[in-house]
Amino acid sequence: MEEAKAYIETGILELYVLGHLNAQEQNEVEGMAAKYPAIKDEITAIEIAMEQYAMKHAIEPSKGLDKQIFEKIIVPVQETAAPKETASTLNHEAKIIPLQADHSASTIRTLRYSLVACVGLLVVSVAALYATHDKLTIANQQIIAMNVDKEKFASTVSFMKDENKDLQEIAAISSDPTWTAVKLAGTKISPQANMMVYWHRKGQHVMVDNTKMALPQNDAEHQYQLWAIVAGKPVDLGVFDAKSGPGKLLLTMKEVGNAQAFAVTLEKRGGSPSPTMEKMIAMGGVSI
Amino acid sequence: MAPNKKISLTEEDLVRALKGQETIAIQALYDMYSAALLGVIFRIVQHSEIAEDLLQDTFIKIWHSAGNYDSSKGRLFTWMINIARNLAIDKIRSKDFRNASKNQDLENNVDFIDLQRKVTFNADTLGIKDMVTALKPEFNSVLDMVYFKGYTHVEAAEELNLPLGTVKTRIRMAIMELRKHFN
Repeated sequence: MEEAKAYIETGILELYVLGHLNAQEQNEVEGMAAKYPAIKDEITAIEIAMEQYAMKHAIEPSKGLDKQIFEKIIVPVQETAAPKETASTLNHEAKIIPLQADHSASTIRTLRYSLVACVGLLVVSVAALYATHDKLTIANQQIIAMNVDKEKFASTVSFMKDENKDLQEIAAISSDPTWTAVKLAGTKISPQANMMVYWHRKGQHVMVDNTKMALPQNDAEHQYQLWAIVAGKPVDLGVFDAKSGPGKLLLTMKEVGNAQAFAVTLEKRGGSPSPTMEKMIAMGGVSI
Repeated sequence: MAPNKKISLTEEDLVRALKGQETIAIQALYDMYSAALLGVIFRIVQHSEIAEDLLQDTFIKIWHSAGNYDSSKGRLFTWMINIARNLAIDKIRSKDFRNASKNQDLENNVDFIDLQRKVTFNADTLGIKDMVTALKPEFNSVLDMVYFKGYTHVEAAEELNLPLGTVKTRIRMAIMELRKHFN
């Protein structure tokens, strides 16, 4: 007992309660306390005194602090305690697998929405492409039609230009005294027939005026042939067709310098070396 | 000793619940001891917000360290107070706390002046005044240094320029005074 009393009086037990001893000293005190109940009681008395001292300093914490603390403690506890309580790896896995499944499920959902959006876009794009293609086809057709029209107009214009040129030439010929207009009248076989030939004596030019031609239409195997009568002999001036519809207004024939008369016979296509007299359609003499 | 035994019985239940990680244990401990622990922490850090943060840390540490508590080595509440004190003392010795203190000179001064005047409106601490006057100043100052200022008894001896034995005796005397007072 003396030993215990002396030990108590060193003040080491107070330092022990205050937590100021190192591990070795602590072990020593604990050994002594186990050996001497008086020391154990002294320690308890010191502890109670210090606890009451602390109680005297008590300050009430703010309201709600307890909840904050419990949340921090209890929430992690439930998470960590759950596997312990169930103590089953099956449940442990069951807790985790849905978590991963949830994650992939949300990913799949996202991907599914993306896919639907993509398909939607594709449909819209195809529709737009189809509509565009339709329009393009219509536009192409219109372009072709317009090209045809344009060609038609162009040919019409060029035809009209030619015609206009011919008409001007005819007008020039009519008013030019160097040109001689020879009117060919119908013969017995074709009394209705008549036509006009212009002849430039000096230049030896011969022209047939299509506008003033009234000959029966020739067929595919036959053509009209113009002849000049020079010193009583027929001279070939070339062939031509008598047809309705557009064509050249003035036909240039072969040249002749001296002619008393002009005659037209119906010959086989391409002409004959000498006129078939019984097929003479029209004839006219040159008036001087 | 009879009421003490009753308390220790209650403490046994508490310890069992705490070691079994039953949440009711932490709730009971909070109801019984949070004010006392906050009081001790506040005396050390002198800052109510920091003190409450440390009180949280204290309860979290109590919860997680329950396995380390050995009832044969001491009472549960003492163990808890020492956890609170160690966290608070670590805090005032930490760099960020010292830096914060430098930036809060005015606040500290106000606290200091309040301490000097010993003005307190806390009904719970009104009894301290009597007790403090009852304690001889030299005993009180040594106990204060080791209990609230974080000094080891060796450091306190150096600071007060006293032999180590004298410091130990003074601490013992101060606690003896407390025991007399509370009895």
